[in-house]
Formats: sequence, C-alpha cells, structure tokens
Amino acid sequence: MGNETKEVVKTEKQKPEKTEYAGERTVQGKYYIPATDIVETEKSLIVAMDVPGVKKENVSIMLENNVLEVDAKIDFSPYDNLNPVYTEYNVGHYTRKFTVSNIVDTEKIDAILSDGVLTLTLPKVPEAQPRKIQIG
Amino acid sequence: MMMPLSRTLETLLTLQDALEIAQNTDFFDNATTSRGVYPPVNIFEKNRDLVFVVELPGVKKEDLNIEVKGNTLRLSGERSIAYGKKTSYHRIERNAFKFDRTIRLPNKVESDRVKAEYKEGLLVIMLPCAESEKPKKIAIQ
Repeated sequence: MGNETKEVVKTEKQKPEKTEYAGERTVQGKYYIPATDIVETEKSLIVAMDVPGVKKENVSIMLENNVLEVDAKIDFSPYDNLNPVYTEYNVGHYTRKFTVSNIVDTEKIDAILSDGVLTLTLPKVPEAQPRKIQIG
Repeated sequence: MMMPLSRTLETLLTLQDALEIAQNTDFFDNATTSRGVYPPVNIFEKNRDLVFVVELPGVKKEDLNIEVKGNTLRLSGERSIAYGKKTSYHRIERNAFKFDRTIRLPNKVESDRVKAEYKEGLLVIMLPCAESEKPKKIAIQ
C-alpha cells in the first residue's frame, strides 16, 4: 500500500448484499427489498422474507386494494455508541409490496417473525383449494 | 450436476469481487483469510473492545458455532429452508447455505469473557480486548 497514512474506517467495495428500494420514502435512511420466497401449498400461499435485525413491534403489514405492503424498520439505537472499523454490509429498513389475487382469504392472513424471518401465511378461499372429483 | 449459466457467471463474479476487495483493504493486512467470504460482517469498536455484528436470518441458534482461539474468530453454521412436501414454488430468492469463516482479529481477546447473542436474526459477538494488549499509563517519577 503506497499510502503513508492508514485510514481507520474502511468501507468495502463489494457486490451489494441487499437490493436497495428505488422509490422515495418519507422516512430517513436506506430502504432495502428483502429476499423473499413465495411458496404455494394446497391450502395456502406462504411468503417468507429475510428481515434480520427487525423487532416485532417495528413491522407493519398493510392490506389495501389487494396490495399487501410489508414495511419493517430497523432500530438503529444499539449502533449509537459503536465506532465502525470494518464494514461489509449496509443496514437499512425493508419494504416490499405484493399484489394478492382474489384466491386469498384476506381476512385470515397470519404473520410470524422468528430469527429474522417474517413468514406470512395467506390461506386460500375454499373455492380455490384443490378438490378431488368423484366419478358418480 | 448441470449448473445453470447464470449460476456459473455468479460464481465468477463473486470470485472477482473477493479478489478486488482483497486488494482494496488493509484492515486485515496480509492475512490469507477473512475477506469477502460469507457471511458478511460489520466490525465495530468500543473502548478497544471489538463488536462483531453478523446478519444471519433464519439460522437456528443451535446451528451456530463460534470459536475463539488466540487472535482468530471462527464462525460456522448452516441455514436450512424447508417448506414441506406438496408445495410449488412461485419465487425463490432465499438460499439454504453452510458457512465457515475464520477472521483474524487485530488484537488478542479475553477469550473467557467473549459474549455472543443471537436475536432477530442478528448475531452480535462482543470480544473484550485482552488486558495485555491495552496501553499502560506510565507515571513520571
């Protein structure tokens, strides 16, 4: 290294681990799009998203006009007294929107947050569930 | 096993990134380990003690291993994803993975007093600086 003085704080140039949310938000700070799996079972749709560092009380899930919007906020206060010396990833809030079709029973959506993974269970309306048809 | 083309490119790009990072930092000096490996870590300092923060969503506490030896810290573990049988996938962005990363620490730590906690998918390791590494104040006679 040719530099005479060493910089103490280094931010790594690295392929971003997270995708930044492109839209404009009213809250200060970065917003990321959480990595999400969408899986369908016979009875329901399961949406699982990675939101590490988010507390249960800071998650808001809104359903309006068939759009399901998840907004998960990070509490930055534990970082207040810490001095960063080496960083590889950035920290920010999470947001993502999904259009929910009418096969979902919107009254019975269930959400669990465990180990930084938010799992939404969207039950299907009975008409959309598979049925075995007996030959009469 | 056939690898899809996009996966191959991804692997090459990750390797390139790791090499570029290796050239652009001097935090780890000339150590051979530590850089650009999963999981990404953020390192903080507080009164000479080191605080490591690692995002590991969906990893179970019992699947996490943390070892401190001399001035190295080793993090290993795995994340498994299972949705049960009879499922069809619409979108898969989260991966199951195994990781094993060794990080060289800039100073010796008090290994008996290392504390780690895993909450909300965030692993926080507190590594107190060894007494022998702390600067001593010298009184003028």
